Amino acid sequence: MGLFTRETETAPCQVEVSHKFDSLHAHMKFLNGAVIHPGDEVLVHGAPIMAPYGEVVIEDRMATITRASKLEQLWTRMTGDFEFMELCEFSFSEEVSV
Amino acid sequence: MNVQRTHSADAATVEEALAADNHQGVVDSEGATALAMQNTLLTPRFYTTDFDEMDAIDVTPVRADWDKLIAQMKSDPNKGHFKKNEDWDSVDWENMEPRLKAEFIDFLVSSCTAEFSGCVLYKEMKRRGNNEDIVTLFQLMARDEARHAGFINDALREAGIAVNLGFLTQKKKYTYFRPKFIYYATYLSEKIGYARYITIYRHLEKHPEHRFHPIFKWFREWCNDEFSHGEAFALLMKTDPKLTSGGNVLWIKFFLTAVYSTMYVRDHQRPAFHEALGVDPDWYGQEVFRKTSAISEQIFPITLDIDHPRWMKGLKRLQKANADLAAAKQRGSLLGRIGPSARAAMAFVSLFTIPAKKHAVPDTTRMEPAY
Repeated sequence: MGLFTRETETAPCQVEVSHKFDSLHAHMKFLNGAVIHPGDEVLVHGAPIMAPYGEVVIEDRMATITRASKLEQLWTRMTGDFEFMELCEFSFSEEVSV
Repeated sequence: MNVQRTHSADAATVEEALAADNHQGVVDSEGATALAMQNTLLTPRFYTTDFDEMDAIDVTPVRADWDKLIAQMKSDPNKGHFKKNEDWDSVDWENMEPRLKAEFIDFLVSSCTAEFSGCVLYKEMKRRGNNEDIVTLFQLMARDEARHAGFINDALREAGIAVNLGFLTQKKKYTYFRPKFIYYATYLSEKIGYARYITIYRHLEKHPEHRFHPIFKWFREWCNDEFSHGEAFALLMKTDPKLTSGGNVLWIKFFLTAVYSTMYVRDHQRPAFHEALGVDPDWYGQEVFRKTSAISEQIFPITLDIDHPRWMKGLKRLQKANADLAAAKQRGSLLGRIGPSARAAMAFVSLFTIPAKKHAVPDTTRMEPAY
């Protein structure tokens, strides 16, 4: 990993999207043991995976991992914590204002 | 010909769902979302943390309480709760006052996003952790959050809003949470979530005429899930006294101030929603803070002094600054943002510097929902 340079790699992954009444979730895991570090970007190839209502869809896809540079990783480590508010039900969205 | 048709909605496992007759194999179905539906793309964040540090947690000091809590979560007392029954009255979305409708949908979408984000975070912890105790906890919490998200999603569908899960194929950046910040933030978000839901539930028990949507009837059991998640994080923090002492007390104060003030500002952005519920947002805020503070005494050595003269004043200034900032953003005025941003920062500092109330933390952490 360079201080300023970003490297990319591709990795196989499995995407699971559940659009059921008793579970709404979407997860992705790498099938080759690739590990994500702070600041890395992941792009799953192909069209959006849409599970029809009441269904679970599992697909194997390829993904591009863009590794963060050393500096970006450091920055993400320092600042990422402040995005925690999203876990709260009253987190901000852009739509409404008074 | 009489053929037994199976449907994936009735499937108990993923494998069954995929094998069901209605499933067209592995496709990305363009027709997944009905065209008439308005599409809302969920955009949760993705997280990493220091997984080695998390694996190093040893729950031995709280083992008895821990095992009891995990056993209770495994027994899944709320499993049957998230079903629509005859209590789910029909909702007249068509004739709902437009402003109320917009704010209520915004409320449902942000609730769904929060549950969903919790699910993504917990699942990631579960997947990358190696500590059996921790992995089990995160798996159980991910289950609950996905269930809540599914329930809200269903309410949104009735309103003609389709939640789009297509974000997975968009480029996404992984952010970073220090483990201790995960504990503070998730503990608080679960406990304040409990306080918010139960306060509305109890209010509507007394004033059923304000219950304009059946989902509020489900808030009690729902918030009991939030409560037990919070209990688990309280126990986690109890395993290491350093997490709630020394310099970390300042972090705790920061998280308390940030969460309370965000909630205040955000709730004031939904005036029609609160009016329909018959709730004054100022009263509601203080009531929720009071409950959350009383609960958080189980683990945090300080609580915020929400009766301090600077408290409400600071919240109001923060809210005004925030509304001005939003207006400047809407105008596209970069210069116009400077003033409100500075005022918001000053209001936050004023809130943060109110002396906190100190108290002794009990030896045993566990609590039961009591409100």
